[in-house]
Amino acid sequence: MSDSLDTEQEILRKALVRFNSKILALVLGFMFGLTIFVATNWLVISGGHINASGERVIGPNLQLLSQFFIGYSVSFWGSVIGFFYAFALGTIAGSAIGWIYNRLVDLRDQ
Amino acid sequence: MEKWVPDVLIIGAGPAGLTAGRRLEQAGMKPLVLEKDEVVGGISRTVSHNGYLFDIGGHRFFTKVKPVEEFWHEVMQDDFLLRARSSRIFYAGKFFDYPLKPLNALFGLGLWTSLMVVLSYVYAHLFPIRDERSFEHWIINRFGARLYGIFFKTYTEKVWGTPCSQISAEWAAQRIKGLSLKTALIQALIGNGGRPKKKVIKTLIDSFHYPKRGPGMMWEKVAADLADQGHKVLLNTKVSKIRWVANSVQDLVVEQGDGLRTVTAPHVISSMPIRELIENLEPAAPAEVRRAAQSLKYRDFLTVAIVVDKEHLFSDNWIYIHDDSVRVGRIQNFKNWSPYMVPDPGKTCLGLEYFCFEGDGLWTMSDQELVDLARDELHALGLANRKDIENGTVVRMPKAYPVYDQNYAESVDVIREFIGTFENLQLVGRNGMHKYNNQDHSMLTAMLAVDNIRGAKHDLWSINAEQDYHEELTAKEVDQPDEYAAAALAASQPRVPKLVDVQGAMDQALIATFARLDKAALATAMGLVFGAFLLLVTVWSHVNGQPAAIAQLQLLSQYFYGYRVTYAGALIGFVYGFFWGFLFGWLLAYLRNLALGLYVTLIAHRARAPSVRRVLDYI
Repeated sequence: MSDSLDTEQEILRKALVRFNSKILALVLGFMFGLTIFVATNWLVISGGHINASGERVIGPNLQLLSQFFIGYSVSFWGSVIGFFYAFALGTIAGSAIGWIYNRLVDLRDQ
Repeated sequence: MEKWVPDVLIIGAGPAGLTAGRRLEQAGMKPLVLEKDEVVGGISRTVSHNGYLFDIGGHRFFTKVKPVEEFWHEVMQDDFLLRARSSRIFYAGKFFDYPLKPLNALFGLGLWTSLMVVLSYVYAHLFPIRDERSFEHWIINRFGARLYGIFFKTYTEKVWGTPCSQISAEWAAQRIKGLSLKTALIQALIGNGGRPKKKVIKTLIDSFHYPKRGPGMMWEKVAADLADQGHKVLLNTKVSKIRWVANSVQDLVVEQGDGLRTVTAPHVISSMPIRELIENLEPAAPAEVRRAAQSLKYRDFLTVAIVVDKEHLFSDNWIYIHDDSVRVGRIQNFKNWSPYMVPDPGKTCLGLEYFCFEGDGLWTMSDQELVDLARDELHALGLANRKDIENGTVVRMPKAYPVYDQNYAESVDVIREFIGTFENLQLVGRNGMHKYNNQDHSMLTAMLAVDNIRGAKHDLWSINAEQDYHEELTAKEVDQPDEYAAAALAASQPRVPKLVDVQGAMDQALIATFARLDKAALATAMGLVFGAFLLLVTVWSHVNGQPAAIAQLQLLSQYFYGYRVTYAGALIGFVYGFFWGFLFGWLLAYLRNLALGLYVTLIAHRARAPSVRRVLDYI
């Protein structure tokens, strides 16, 4: 025996979220893109350090991303390029997560 | 003998009958009202005892129905007082706020009892009664056994004369609904739309209208107005037979003193108890209908009015008596309803209300015995000193409340179907329809019955059917006052093209917002994406990578045992990526669901709280 509130709670309890894959893709894309953009510019602004050969080195580890993001560098323009790469990566990851999740929920609902 | 040629016969001069009479008169028709009692007003009468006036049950005049509100003001004009509402619970010699307030209740009960109340509340929520069948179970699951025993059991059993363990949980769930979860969630998300919430909500709860000299003043005035217009309200006139032929009432046989008279009219509106109506039919109704009528039960009620030689006893309009050592259920202080109810302002007139069944021990006590009982109980409760109590009188009110037992709905349906075949008979009012309604609902059924006589097609049975009981005016009701303010009307309107289901869209949006994440699905999706990501990165590095980049990626092997930047390592990386992605996704969904579940539970608790704190209004 339950009252209407309990019934409504039960309806909510049974309901499952469906993702909007496009929205999820955009959100993850912006998150990834902004992360790279901010991380790159943070290093650019902080100025890096001088190595043993007297050269200024800025973000050598982050620079390794250029292996995957062709044209990327630890510089302002590199951060813009990195933003687009990371945005694309986040978009693909978000839409893939949304699509797979929704398919699985549909399968379990049948 | 005077000849009666009415257009409509009205059985009963209570609020429903007299409302119908006034409406018919205003429409230029001729009503004839037949009342078996010697006064008008039914349960809404005012009784006088040595000039002290009292009300049978205490009738607050508040309504959401605009025509009813207008009717009241039209009749009473300047004699309609606006009074503040105050009522408290009296238990163990102390007053407790009503509606219940947790802190007030806990402080009033004392340290030890409060501790036990809190413990039993926690216990009830940790170990609820799984098979929630009875009212007792329902309340214990929400308040704990201790609070149930103090604030619910005694009063409910006094009112209904039935152990709480035998009252269905469904009854509690139907009457104590509170806000819907949906409303609460919308309010939690988007607030009250900028409306001054308190201003709207408080109106009907904290105050009510009341005729200067009690509710009977209203109905005496309506009867007098009818008489002034040449329409009769016949008192001491009992309908003893309702003769019918071919689904039409032909005439009524009425008893007046020792004589019988026959009266006929094209239409009949009946507010007499439905059980009596069926019993009085001639020829008799089908056996199934008679059985259904006989199965309907009523709770009866008596008031002992006591005059106390004290100017002030307590400030409330009425108090609920929860002590099980006394039989009184509620005590009215009529002076606080209206100062005009007492002729001597230095004295107080109390109404002690006893709920009983016609013919039981209380009902059959003599008036003097009942006055003595009331005096003893007032003294025992500490509300008045025995020596200050001057005198008293008793009013018995049979069939005050229709009882909603397990069979009533089915029985009413059988009767309703049978009566529905009559072309010229309509049932109105509380006992006329066996509906536990307030005065305004009874009046509304009468107004709609008159509309029907004039050609409308209202379904009177849909009034208050399955609608939540709320004294609050909702924002919608304030913004969009509806003539009859009743969803009931919708049931009788012609079908119109259906508009876009805005409500359905809102429901969907709420569900989408507050629904759970599927843990396994999110875990799998994130696992696959993480795994694939690591696989692709590894393969790419293996094919195109510079030694520095490979060395960096290779560091993952410190966490992913066996991982290498090779094709085989890419597969191992996929498995690790899947594992950690799965774990991350599952945790994310679990924590999000947990937080949302707690939030929804909190909202539901808040939504229920206002109505459970006012639970006595629903009993």
